[in-house]
Amino acid sequence: MGEFKIHRVRFFDYMPTGIRALAFHPINERMAVARMDGSVEIFHCSDNFFQEKIIPGREQCGIEALSWVGERLFSAGLNGEITEYDLTNQKAKYTVDAYGGPVWAITGNQQGTHLAVGCEDGTVKLFEVNEDKIQFERNLDRQKGRIFSLSWHPSGSKIAAGMMDMIQVFNVETGHSIHRILVDRGVGTSRSKECVVWSVVYLSDGTIISGDSVGMVKMWDDHTGTLIKSHNITKCDVLALSVSQDEDSLVAGTSEGCVVQFQFISVVLDKDDKEWVRTRTFKNHTHDVRAVAEITTAVVSGGMDTQLVVRPLLDKIEVWSSASALRKIHFPHRNLVSCARKAGLMLFQYPSHLELWRLGESEGIDIPGMSLSIKSKPEKRLHLKVKGEEHIRCSAVSPCGEWIAYSTASRLRLYKLNFDNNNVSITKISKLPKVLSSANQLCFSSDSSHLFSSSTMALVHVVSLSQSGCKFVGTLKPKSGSHQAIHLLAASEDGKWFASANSDHEVNVYNLQTRKVHCTVPIYSSAVSAMGIHPTTNCLFMVHADQQMFEYSIEQKQYTDWSRLVHRKGLHRIWWERDTPVTNVMFNPQNTSQVILHDMYMLCIIDQSLPLPGEKTQFYNQLTLKSLPEEQRKSHSHAFKVCKTFKEILCVDLMSDQSLVVVERPLTDITTQLPAPIKQKKFAT
Amino acid sequence: MTELTHAQYESSDDELPEEVAFDDSKTAALKSVKDALESAKREKNLLKEKRRKRQLLFQEQKKRKCLPEDLLEEFDALPQKRPKTSDSNKDEDTEDVIKSKTVSKSLQDSYSVVRLKDGSAAKTMQQSAMDFIQSRLYGPGTKRTTNAARLSLQKKRGLNQGAAVEFANKEWGADHKVKAEKSNKRFIQKQKLVPS
Repeated sequence: MGEFKIHRVRFFDYMPTGIRALAFHPINERMAVARMDGSVEIFHCSDNFFQEKIIPGREQCGIEALSWVGERLFSAGLNGEITEYDLTNQKAKYTVDAYGGPVWAITGNQQGTHLAVGCEDGTVKLFEVNEDKIQFERNLDRQKGRIFSLSWHPSGSKIAAGMMDMIQVFNVETGHSIHRILVDRGVGTSRSKECVVWSVVYLSDGTIISGDSVGMVKMWDDHTGTLIKSHNITKCDVLALSVSQDEDSLVAGTSEGCVVQFQFISVVLDKDDKEWVRTRTFKNHTHDVRAVAEITTAVVSGGMDTQLVVRPLLDKIEVWSSASALRKIHFPHRNLVSCARKAGLMLFQYPSHLELWRLGESEGIDIPGMSLSIKSKPEKRLHLKVKGEEHIRCSAVSPCGEWIAYSTASRLRLYKLNFDNNNVSITKISKLPKVLSSANQLCFSSDSSHLFSSSTMALVHVVSLSQSGCKFVGTLKPKSGSHQAIHLLAASEDGKWFASANSDHEVNVYNLQTRKVHCTVPIYSSAVSAMGIHPTTNCLFMVHADQQMFEYSIEQKQYTDWSRLVHRKGLHRIWWERDTPVTNVMFNPQNTSQVILHDMYMLCIIDQSLPLPGEKTQFYNQLTLKSLPEEQRKSHSHAFKVCKTFKEILCVDLMSDQSLVVVERPLTDITTQLPAPIKQKKFAT
Repeated sequence: MTELTHAQYESSDDELPEEVAFDDSKTAALKSVKDALESAKREKNLLKEKRRKRQLLFQEQKKRKCLPEDLLEEFDALPQKRPKTSDSNKDEDTEDVIKSKTVSKSLQDSYSVVRLKDGSAAKTMQQSAMDFIQSRLYGPGTKRTTNAARLSLQKKRGLNQGAAVEFANKEWGADHKVKAEKSNKRFIQKQKLVPS
């Protein structure tokens, strides 16, 4: 089958950042996630929660809240600015200063005309949403104290603002405060601490629901300004609230990591008097839950433990399938590690710097399953810091190991490396062609002679690299009108073909000699999560976010026979039930029928010469095959060979000396660097 | 009379009560009054001395704080030149301006000169907002524990029970080990267990 020496790498100190805000767009079914470092990610909720777009953040950003207004996404932060994002090109479009100090809350009205922003100085500012920009309209009455949270009444006529120790209800037209609702402080020692109303929700029947720092979820009546009911759900703070589209379910996120659901149901069967009753508690987080959102069939929550947890609500799902299981999204669905295959080097992408490492060498006899002793340790050859405040969007190292390129939101940098004995010297290529201003994705050709960079308008710029520097060669332009940013690039071994995949599920194949579109792969309903071009047969192998696989022959411009066989027979149930997407596809040069893939929890080799597993066959059959005698093995083996030895895999790549590199990042190592969790008292400890 | 005889019976000596002359008692009384006055004076003087010494100390400290004498003289000389030129313009506004200039030459202690580039108001407000969140969520009054403690608790109550993470994983317990070693060394030294 194939024997590989595996370098098990754990020195990539990848540290994700906590989730600060969630915003769901019900029509597009997209979830926008804002992280503490200012990056915004868009997940497609119905496409297996695939991470479609990533907008990188910057240092000292302090993002606090997100809001969708129609198809547009706005965010506000403690730096006092409101940012609108260009989702097509995956970057920030413009920022507007609110001139009210740090902005704590932002929310748009249901009609999509206005945006309300709650500031540090106690004002609620109204901005008019115009076609190209937002414009300041007016301030509501200024209050004493900061405004922590805002919520519009669905009719757009009133706004509830959560402040310190009180909730103010404003009439939007006049700007005056209708009610001033005082929220109780805690009992005992917490009486001296002010009560912060971290979040408010305004329902269409006039109920205002608030979550505060005492741990209470309170329901208020806005007609009289009095308390209807108060629920004590935790000893610490209630940090986030979210109500469903049809206002019959509310979820609250707490500092302890619990997410509590309330439902608007009648207490006695068949009676009409409904009230808010606490129904479910989900304990899926270990640290503070700072954002919750309720989508049609699930509760999505995120917090300081950096995972996005999707908990399907079983009463809303008709069919219980693998889609109704709890899902945790830990790692990004993009590659942060690029390997220089011929040089044995790896480039790690951190938010504000890059590290280049050389792999170690081993010694000893190769026996399958054994771990070999290390002759020379892996060493860090280069630490490259990024100037400025922006975070790195993408990076790549050439297969020969001599070129490094990275791009932030505003510029692209290219460096040439020189290795002489043990020293590394790096020179920055200063005269870059003007088109190379910023890239969404970077890729080097297999002979390291060209650099491909995808930029705005779905164009791919080709630049040639040589000793003297780099020169602009041409641009690859797609035929169709979609301008969505490209997130995957693949170049063929022989340098003739090039493929690009964008967020609109379009895959274009270009002929590099003529620099024109050769063919377009038929659009599939799910996004491409990984793709690669076979070195000898020049077939494009694509894996999608819903775990479907396709193999498309570039020269014949049609799907291959193997791909049609896979679709006729169907993939095994266990393959469909995996919940993490495949992020890298490689080919074994020694055996042309083998394709190597990996996702977060497994490494798989697909042998196209072997038969596909049927419905009833055992999928993970490696161990059983070992126990069988030689002659029987051939008859029992099937195409999918899965190795589950490695967990929490960030990247797997194949080096030119037939060794595999597996970059793991154990989740416990990430928890060591998280902020402090709340102390929980357990019985008998 | 009966009292005197009573006293006579009680005392062993058959003596008459001592005759104390009026003068003696007068002098004694005056002396005690003088003593009291003198002691009060002494105390006052002591306090005075103390106060004087303190004052001297403060003056010296102030001198040390101030710039050297010659620089101060230079500064004093400059403002004097400006009022001379102002005599030619009898405009009140310029005098006020000059007065403010002289004031700015010697800043009070609580003022400091900062460049606009270095610390803009927005950044400090952002920092104070972040500090507010930090103090509300992680500051005093919140019951927080460490990640190590939480993981150890999970291990103790979980399905596969095991030792606390500080013992199981070498990296977690590194600083605990260092502390333990140091305190062991101190204990051994203190108790003189190891003969030196």
